[in-house]
Amino acid sequence: MNRRVVVTAASAITPIGHDRRDILQSLAQGQSGVKPLRDDELLTRYIHSRVFGAVDYPIAYDFKRLYRKTMGPVAYYACQAAKEVLEMAGLDNDFVVSGRLGVAFGSTHGSPTVQRGIYKTFFGGERSDYTAIGAVDYLKSMVHTTAVNITKMFGITGRVIASSTACTTSSQSIGYGYEAVKFGLQDAMICGGADEYDTTTVAVFDNLLACSTAFNDTPERTPRPFDRNRDGLVVGEGAGAVLLEEYEFARKRGAPILAEVIGFACNNNGGDLILPNLNGISQTIRLGLADAAIAADDVDLVSAHATATKMGDVIEAQAIHAVYGDRPHVTALKSYMGHTMASCGVIETILVIYMMAEGWIAPTLNLDDVDERCAMIRHVRTPLEKEVRVAAIQNFAFGGVNTNLLIRKFE
Amino acid sequence: MTRTDIESEIIRIFRDGFEIEHPEPDANLRDKYQFDSIDAIELLVAIENFLGSELTQAEKKRAMDIRSLRQVYDYVEALARKRLLFSEG
Repeated sequence: MNRRVVVTAASAITPIGHDRRDILQSLAQGQSGVKPLRDDELLTRYIHSRVFGAVDYPIAYDFKRLYRKTMGPVAYYACQAAKEVLEMAGLDNDFVVSGRLGVAFGSTHGSPTVQRGIYKTFFGGERSDYTAIGAVDYLKSMVHTTAVNITKMFGITGRVIASSTACTTSSQSIGYGYEAVKFGLQDAMICGGADEYDTTTVAVFDNLLACSTAFNDTPERTPRPFDRNRDGLVVGEGAGAVLLEEYEFARKRGAPILAEVIGFACNNNGGDLILPNLNGISQTIRLGLADAAIAADDVDLVSAHATATKMGDVIEAQAIHAVYGDRPHVTALKSYMGHTMASCGVIETILVIYMMAEGWIAPTLNLDDVDERCAMIRHVRTPLEKEVRVAAIQNFAFGGVNTNLLIRKFE
Repeated sequence: MTRTDIESEIIRIFRDGFEIEHPEPDANLRDKYQFDSIDAIELLVAIENFLGSELTQAEKKRAMDIRSLRQVYDYVEALARKRLLFSEG
């Protein structure tokens, strides 16, 4: 059973805004969400990269204590995005709790803030015994905390997929959610990912010399995907959720259809856990096209993973060129907000859906001087009025995991 | 520490910690206030802080039969009395 799968609601919490209008305005005005790294009184003094894609505006949470008590910061993001998506979708509560709605949601490693609290208590000397670890700390910090706090808040009883593959976490969520609906296992899925403010992640990439350090005094000038002067990624925070529904189900209930998911692929490089791999990435792109049953020439826009690392961008440009040539427009949305880790795939998908509806493509920010090794693809360098019918959102993660998600404008 | 002290402190914990205002002493905590196993664990920590001493595993296990606020009062009163006896002994 192969069924059509459509996106009927979307919500993103990003460093460049929360509601659709603010996000589109930031994209249109080339407004960056990269800010100076906030001091965490622990790691920041050792980190060379002093920039961060920050969600620095208030969010009006109104969760009851019943729900708050098992939530760390990452679950706040996740539940807020999921709540907005459910409100937008207007699904009957009978359906929400029916078992035909599932959740595919993840984060890089649960809540590092809560985990840090546990270690602080444990190694802090004051009460260094196991009883000092709160019973709910695990529920707040565990890897699947986002997915199950969403199920708890809304009484969802369907499938739970809690992907946790770093930068491909939420693209996997959407992909596996798409497959669950496509193959008739669920009628709808809330899909997405979230990551909270966390300096541990910055430290990890900093240690690997993968973080941007040359623009500490001018945060908005980094990251610089595909630019000759790029010097690494910028870690960010955020969340995003989309509701996927089986097309007939959505049509019958009169749901507004934002886009159609037409294909998904996920593979692994089968070797090194860090280095980008041309064969692996090219293969993911091809597998995605095959799953969507479309030709490379049908794709109008590629949303590149493009983290602005030295090698990653070159390999990605080579892979795009190998499969698509120079036909599709290519934009790198991390240039606006840094790398929001587990949420980057869903945020980039939502931004592409917004732009599709508006009929224009946001350019890659800070792409002042294209690296000649990345110059063979068709970069979007100024805001471009363009009807995008089919877009590919590609994401690659540590661990050699690659995803390619294909979406089509719904007509 | 009188029974009144205990009751007012527990009511304060329910209000500030669990956002439960004016709990009825004999209502089933789970049915009436959605007070669940996670809350029970957190309540034990609050009781430890109130008494200024840790509860033993056996004492904690005894709390698992508690269903109402009045039973919480009784439980804390018994713990307080036991600690007083030990401190006097």
